[in-house]
Amino acid sequence: MAIAKAERLMNLALCLLGTRRPLTKRELRASIEAYLEVGGGSGRGGEDAFNRMFERDKDDLRELGLVIETVENLEGEIAYQARRDSNRLPPVALDAEEAAALTLAAKVWQQARLAGAASGALQKLRAAGMPLADSGAEDPYGGHSALEPRIPVREAAFEPLMLACRDRRPVTFAYRKSNAARPGTRHVEPWTLECWRGHWYLAGHDRDRGAERVFRLSRITGPVRSRAGAYTAEVPDHVTVRETVERWAGEIATATARIRLRQGAGYPLRARALRTREAGDGWDELEIPYGHGLDAWLVEFGPDVVVLEPADLRADVVDRLRAVAKG
Amino acid sequence: MATNAIDQTRRMLSLVTYLRERPGARVEDVARAFGITTDELISDLHVLPMCGTSFRGGDLLDIDTDGERIWWHNADAVGSSTGEPLRLAADEATALLVAARAVATLPGLRESDREALQRATAKIEAAAGESAGASSRLSVSFESEGGVFADVDRAIAERRRLWIRYYSPTRDTLTEREIDPIRLFAVGHTYVEAWCRLSEAHRTFRLDRVAEIRLLDEPSDPPPVELRDLSEGLVQPSAEDPQVVIEVGPGGRWVAEYYPHDSAEELPEGGLRITLRAPDPASLRRLALRLGRDGRIVSPSELADSAREAARAALAAYGD
Repeated sequence: MAIAKAERLMNLALCLLGTRRPLTKRELRASIEAYLEVGGGSGRGGEDAFNRMFERDKDDLRELGLVIETVENLEGEIAYQARRDSNRLPPVALDAEEAAALTLAAKVWQQARLAGAASGALQKLRAAGMPLADSGAEDPYGGHSALEPRIPVREAAFEPLMLACRDRRPVTFAYRKSNAARPGTRHVEPWTLECWRGHWYLAGHDRDRGAERVFRLSRITGPVRSRAGAYTAEVPDHVTVRETVERWAGEIATATARIRLRQGAGYPLRARALRTREAGDGWDELEIPYGHGLDAWLVEFGPDVVVLEPADLRADVVDRLRAVAKG
Repeated sequence: MATNAIDQTRRMLSLVTYLRERPGARVEDVARAFGITTDELISDLHVLPMCGTSFRGGDLLDIDTDGERIWWHNADAVGSSTGEPLRLAADEATALLVAARAVATLPGLRESDREALQRATAKIEAAAGESAGASSRLSVSFESEGGVFADVDRAIAERRRLWIRYYSPTRDTLTEREIDPIRLFAVGHTYVEAWCRLSEAHRTFRLDRVAEIRLLDEPSDPPPVELRDLSEGLVQPSAEDPQVVIEVGPGGRWVAEYYPHDSAEELPEGGLRITLRAPDPASLRRLALRLGRDGRIVSPSELADSAREAARAALAAYGD
């Protein structure tokens, strides 16, 4: 039976961490049973299979945070070592309260890779002496804190984009704008990912448009492909995804509108009203902020809302109502 | 739960560190510290004795367990470098720091918890060094209504009943009800899971729809209920609910993003035919009105009719 990958990785990690001098590939192969077994251990095919496996394993260990140095020894052979001083966790003194807060926070991830990374981080810290948080498991309604925040990640594009942002790699993907019939290809230098109101957005430099753009991950159709090469635009220190998204959502008002609203109806409109007065006959008159998308929202209230002004909003609402009345 | 090789390797490296410092550690305690089942731990303990710096030289980890305690017999012989605490990887630092910063922004968080989290964040940033850099490329904001949140949080801590005025968008009405709060959770928006004494049922309320809130003196007394499984998504329509079919043009594709649905078939010209389930199809009248020329209700016909009637009644006020 083939030796499990975790066992092989563990052996490679221990060899690289334990050695006082860099080890050549040949030496590593002689020390690790799984490498000797590859391809029967001899012949050209076995050699190639071992080389591929070794390269992949090194990459995996680097993903796990191991710093592996590569040097050329006196015979001109490449040799490897994970030096103690570059791999050691500096002392972290967390008290019980800090440990509990961190443990609770680490549970927010619902995405496999980040959930795995967060619990891996806690395991490292615990192994290094972080106190264990009290478990409130005995009483489901009691416990330490009443709050359970969760970060949803349903978008397939999340993981490749997270890695692209981390490693600063340009990407291409098919993107469908909210009102477009067909997706178009975008070439983007990704900067940051931000989750706002439960949805993920990417901010980056759009190469075709030569400007900063914000993309909603759920509108990315198909795979995200990374491209070789460096960024062509400078990455800004501060990226404001939220402002762009709020503008899309019409939360940045550009004017005010005057509407009539039936009494008892439209609580969210009342909650945002700048002014409200009784208009008689069971109606109120409200002044509300007027931003992008207000027409669609007002139509939802059907006959309980009448737009008084401005005229363009009134016309948009009537237009929408006519479409539904005909439908 | 099946673990992948990467996560298992990560865990076993930490296990070695942990066990070096704690000879004779109890299986139960170690599993709890690592957030894994005892079975998962035992399977790791089967792998560790196969690991070391050379399988031929015999310097493998001599770790074994009697099922209750774990012993590492040659911890000193294998050299002090094996089992030193390892630095955090970039992904590990990112996952922890982004989560901690996000939770620290929750407006209703207890001040002592927030301060503990901020202290912890600063310490992790310092310890992670370079690995912490990439964590600025990911950020999460939770949204919650500060005042309402604080009252619900207090009610849960003091086990008190709440009175709320709650907005239902599907009916466009406010209702007054008493609820026994069970827990708060945040998935995009912030919600309270509670026993609703008006409907005598287990309900979830979105905090930004709470128009008014008051703490009552009566004790909260929710019957034992099964808490919602947050990993499944918030809306779980039942297969017995009536079916609704909606056809949208390109401008109405957002419906598929916001409404959980059974299917969404592509139509020519970038449209979609969306089939979803709703316990009360009439509640979708708002959606039908909102869609305007970007979509139409195919079935049930009562829903399409009620949207048409509402639109006609609304147009009458404009003299149309």
